[in-house]
Amino acid sequence: MVEKTDDTLRSLHERGRVAAEYPRVRGLVRGAGVAETRWAGNLLARIGADAVLAEHPDTPVVSVAFTGHSTVSGLVAPVTAELARHGLLLRPHVSDFDGYVFDLSDTASELYSAKPDAVVCLLDASVVFDEVPVPWEPEDVRRIFDEKLTLLDGLATSFAGAGQGTLVFNTLPLPREWTAQLIGVRDRARLGAVWREANARLLRLMDRHPALTVLDFDPLLGADLPLRDDRLGVYTHTEFSPEAHAAYARDVAHLLRAATGRAKKCLVLDLDNTVWGGILGDDGIEGIEVAGSYRGEAFRRLQRTARQVASQGVLLAAVSKNDLDPVREVLRSHPDMTLREDDFVRVVANWRPKHDNLRELAAELNLGVDSFVFADDSPYECGLVVRELPDVAVVALDEEPALHVEKLLRDGWFDVRDITVDDLKRPERYREELDRKDFLHGFSSLDDYLRELDVQVRFADASPAELARVSQLTLRTNQFNLTTERLQQSEVAERAAAPGSLVLTIRSGDRFGDNGVVGAVLAHREGDELVIDNFLLSCRVFARGIEQACLSAVLGHARDQGLRSVRAGYRPSAKNGKVQDFYPGNGFRPAGGGTDGAPTLYRHDLAEIPAPPDHIRLTLSLGGLHQ
Amino acid sequence: MKSLDDFLSLVHSETGLSLTPSTVGADFDELPGWDSLLLLTLLTAIERETGRRVPMAQVLESTSLRDIYALTAQTVEP
Repeated sequence: MVEKTDDTLRSLHERGRVAAEYPRVRGLVRGAGVAETRWAGNLLARIGADAVLAEHPDTPVVSVAFTGHSTVSGLVAPVTAELARHGLLLRPHVSDFDGYVFDLSDTASELYSAKPDAVVCLLDASVVFDEVPVPWEPEDVRRIFDEKLTLLDGLATSFAGAGQGTLVFNTLPLPREWTAQLIGVRDRARLGAVWREANARLLRLMDRHPALTVLDFDPLLGADLPLRDDRLGVYTHTEFSPEAHAAYARDVAHLLRAATGRAKKCLVLDLDNTVWGGILGDDGIEGIEVAGSYRGEAFRRLQRTARQVASQGVLLAAVSKNDLDPVREVLRSHPDMTLREDDFVRVVANWRPKHDNLRELAAELNLGVDSFVFADDSPYECGLVVRELPDVAVVALDEEPALHVEKLLRDGWFDVRDITVDDLKRPERYREELDRKDFLHGFSSLDDYLRELDVQVRFADASPAELARVSQLTLRTNQFNLTTERLQQSEVAERAAAPGSLVLTIRSGDRFGDNGVVGAVLAHREGDELVIDNFLLSCRVFARGIEQACLSAVLGHARDQGLRSVRAGYRPSAKNGKVQDFYPGNGFRPAGGGTDGAPTLYRHDLAEIPAPPDHIRLTLSLGGLHQ
Repeated sequence: MKSLDDFLSLVHSETGLSLTPSTVGADFDELPGWDSLLLLTLLTAIERETGRRVPMAQVLESTSLRDIYALTAQTVEP
């Protein structure tokens, strides 16, 4: 193995080096079992974010307020551990017992003043049963659960008005303690029905509250997982067992990872013994197992899962040690394959080290390797990728293919709150982009190429249907993101509705196809100045003149509206270095800022506005700026 | 967990507190960062180590780690 055997979190802890060597913690916690992860969570929660930040100031931090009807402090350590697995630090804010109604309804509460990135409001059956009289009937439960749903609906509305970021509710699991007290089985069935109907309505609250996420607790309980520890429940009002806390913490961490712009984008699969059973080079096309046999069915299940995940906008690629031709033949003509060549944005089959292939694939797709999830059955290949590319999430499969699917899905790597129309088209667009790159090789100069490409851009006020996509651009775009200000959909909608404020979308297309919404500009008027709050462009369409065309249009629009200048800022992040000269390179002059984490400011006096690049066909529909 | 030393090393590993036989009697109020969550973490670990059930209601009423050692030691020694 790559790691030495004494290289554990415990040994770091014994040497007092956890904070000092924190960048290694992510890898150590990722490999830990259930008991070790629990221990790690307690340790890391004790050490705290500040001790780590003192040593490694650039470590990303997520602040989360925990509240609920029961004792919620037990959730802090597991969430700390799960976030550590994703390289994130937790700054927790824990509310008092049964504080959720006050916390969320009073806009002056400590919870709101803490301005957390997310609020996790942990709900459990005691929310309802603490108010059910004794003796009780299913009808009493229905009535009280109804009241609580109205309350939760109201709290989500208060949150939208006063809070920021994400509010997280969960469905209420029904402990057997309550069903078993009804001795009539028909009453018991009625309770089950009443309970599930109420939980279903709770889940549907997400449709009406853009800042709310409701996580479904039920699927977590399918495994060998105790919902409660009665002693903790009775003596400390902790309504979930440590195991249930840990499972829920994992889902919460996936959500926080996505909400802070770190959802993965590309699933890279090995082929031999990952996608199909056997070694193609040894067993031949006829000999590999993809259906029919016991093992064949296990691989088919994996293929169906990968295809389902990819259908929702995740890019699927293959990186395999094989000759390319036989691999292509399997993908094109093996009668029992579920995955086909068209399901992949790229199939890389050669004999080079996989980390080199992954690096190259990332460059071709214009993505960071940190947006990759790599799954392979070989401990050697997994270990090598972990060592060479620590930012790649590695899913270590093994020789039991029936467990592949669970391992692949365990960490919800691709979870996001909403799938947009653009997500669904993403794989096709990336395939087109790779075609474009092949096309580019045929031209002597970039100008010739761009002229041939026939780029069309529509730059316009965002329609209501586009607001989710604008939010997603702020959350997922890391490179061409001038300020890295992340906005939830509700926050984008607020800005779009504000007077004197602009939320603009950039759509582009070319001879290879439609790219959809590839960028956004957010701006607002301050007196006789237009302030660009952020400028975002998808990495798929950099450097084609689209950004210059749109910036020129913003400047022209500001002048047409009678304004005197345009101000814009650049805030450096780990990934947006390539756009630091975007404003000064396009006629803006420095205007201060840039100290203590404030953005560097630039101003354009609108005297000379550069013309948009002439290879672009630009259509504009920009709204007024009246305040 | 056969002795006070074993107990203190478990306390250290689970809660980060470094105590000695002479400081183990300190009231919880005097322990830096002590809270009920640390106590529960410790209890879970003790049950795991000993394979026996800790009398939780009594433990929750105790005021020092020495009390807890006394309660859990009873459960260890037959």
